[in-house]
Amino acid sequence: MKRGLITWDPSEIPPAVFNERLDGVRRALKERDLPALVIYSDMWRSNQARFFSNFMPYFNRAMLIISCDTPPTLLCGLSPRVYGWIRSVTIIQDIRPARNFAEPLFDIAGERNWLRIGALDLDRFPYDIHTALHAGQIALVNLESQVIFSPAEDEKELTIRRTAATIAGQILEEEIVQGVGVTDYLFVGNLERRFRRSGAEDLIILITNGRAVPAPPAGVLLEENFSVSMAMEYRGHWVRLSRYHGDAKPKASGSASYLERMDGSYPYESGGGILQAHHVEFNHNGKRLFYGDTIL
Amino acid sequence: MMLNQERRQQFLTLMEESGWDTLLLYGNTSRKDFFRSLVNFNFFGPHAAAALASNGISIVVSHPWDDELLQDSIDANVTWDADFNAVIHRLISGKTAIAGREFMEARFVDEATVSATAPIENLRRFKTRGEIEYIRQSARLADAGYRHFVETAEAGVAEYELVAEVEAFLKSNGAEDNFMLIASGGTEVFGMHPPTERRFQKGDIITTELTPQVNGYYAQICRTMVLGEPSAGQSRAFAIFSEAQAAAQNLIKPGVNIKDVARVQNDVFRREGYGEYTTPRYTRVRGHNLGLYPDENPWVLEDVDCEVNEGMVLIAHPNTYLPLSGYMTFGDTLLVTARGCVSLNQTEKKLFSKV
Repeated sequence: MKRGLITWDPSEIPPAVFNERLDGVRRALKERDLPALVIYSDMWRSNQARFFSNFMPYFNRAMLIISCDTPPTLLCGLSPRVYGWIRSVTIIQDIRPARNFAEPLFDIAGERNWLRIGALDLDRFPYDIHTALHAGQIALVNLESQVIFSPAEDEKELTIRRTAATIAGQILEEEIVQGVGVTDYLFVGNLERRFRRSGAEDLIILITNGRAVPAPPAGVLLEENFSVSMAMEYRGHWVRLSRYHGDAKPKASGSASYLERMDGSYPYESGGGILQAHHVEFNHNGKRLFYGDTIL
Repeated sequence: MMLNQERRQQFLTLMEESGWDTLLLYGNTSRKDFFRSLVNFNFFGPHAAAALASNGISIVVSHPWDDELLQDSIDANVTWDADFNAVIHRLISGKTAIAGREFMEARFVDEATVSATAPIENLRRFKTRGEIEYIRQSARLADAGYRHFVETAEAGVAEYELVAEVEAFLKSNGAEDNFMLIASGGTEVFGMHPPTERRFQKGDIITTELTPQVNGYYAQICRTMVLGEPSAGQSRAFAIFSEAQAAAQNLIKPGVNIKDVARVQNDVFRREGYGEYTTPRYTRVRGHNLGLYPDENPWVLEDVDCEVNEGMVLIAHPNTYLPLSGYMTFGDTLLVTARGCVSLNQTEKKLFSKV
């Protein structure tokens, strides 16, 4: 879960970067004669709203509204007591409480005379929200994510993903040499400490002694040639990598390879893309070893 | 056991009573609970669904590694597809009800299906013996985690550094996951959030709720500590929180209504002249159920009508802001027994202080 350091350092991502991204959305909206776009966000699906605002929910649900002529608005399931915190880590100032997202959205649409608006990946909205939004008087137009959300083409996005990949690779490679003979619980605990102290917001760590694919830790002692396959989120930017213990030479092609898309909402989504994670599995002394990285 | 046989039987009975041919239990990365209530497998691919019918169970997952791990572990027909949308519709057979339908991606939902979310939640509200044992383990880990929290917190440490240490401790001791919020400071603190870079100072109140997960099941502990000797205001505030939590714990037994569990907590604040601080402006809930999700229904609120019964596991926490102290947290995980309730936490019920 996202319980690491959620922060925004404007020297790392200047406000101008978000403004450029928002301007891109506004251009796409004007081309389609749409006054606004709504983007759904929750703990699992936070990448898109984060890209435009740096908002990452640690719980509950939210909806980002990007309009053509006003700053972004966040409809938020979290308590108003944490809006100060949200404002401190995002570019958003206008935050409104929302349990049923449709009602406050319709209110805003009424105030601004919106009759039809865009919705990013509308058919992927949660069914309850999707249903509620369609019960109103405004027409919703689906915009596929690739129309406006293209992290692989954003230099700042790639810069921070590279930073994240460097941090992840360095820590994992330093820790993996110390793993043999300890339990996978302890090994993962040590990784949690190192990564979270380095600013990771979220971690998903899988591990195997080489007799199966990587899986969540189960309390077993780690053996020679164990593999770790993990995802790390840093400043909202996910990277995936796999490494193994020992000195076997990685092979470019193995007995199996796995592709995951890294430009979607979550790092373990099977499928490729311009920004993808590529993991190779190969055999070494009867063990299944896993190696991979996030690649462009 | 990966397949929860007791739940399977309950679900089959519900299906028969409701006239459903298929019960589909859906899970995604942030809401695995409906899926895991039948198939307790910690999938990491974004989606999984289990279809229960009278003739067996079919499971679809969205990552090939989940598929391999499940294939030899359960007596079910397991398949995977990167295009989950393509396969989930194949699970629908006859009159189909879906638990978790509301949070499924809209494209996954067949309009001919009905929601099974509420009736399945009603069954899950009362834990099986095996589930209670996992929650006991989580509660013990929450206690140990809080000891580590107190040992590690000191002036100069940043909130996120403390959380990193607690996460490391919990994972090293077998936690599958942990939901945790924190806050530090004084009367300017109105609520908890993820950890920031703020460094603790002498006199700070540090609040947390720790919610470790063992084999899928969460338990929670809420405590507050002071770095230094508590001030008169902080001690006075804690006395109110302590009395409110005790009022809830003393009330809870089969037959009691959840709204009264909230009311007796709020009554303590009202009697002391702090009724305003029991409203949504300052607080969220006075507790909630626990299980495969850290914030299960029912929420403990004065407008929630739900009868307490044996086997429920809930936390009563009067967490809120008070001008005496700033935001404060205090609560234990409680198991409802035949005659009352017992705390599954062993951590001392006090305002912790570290001089």
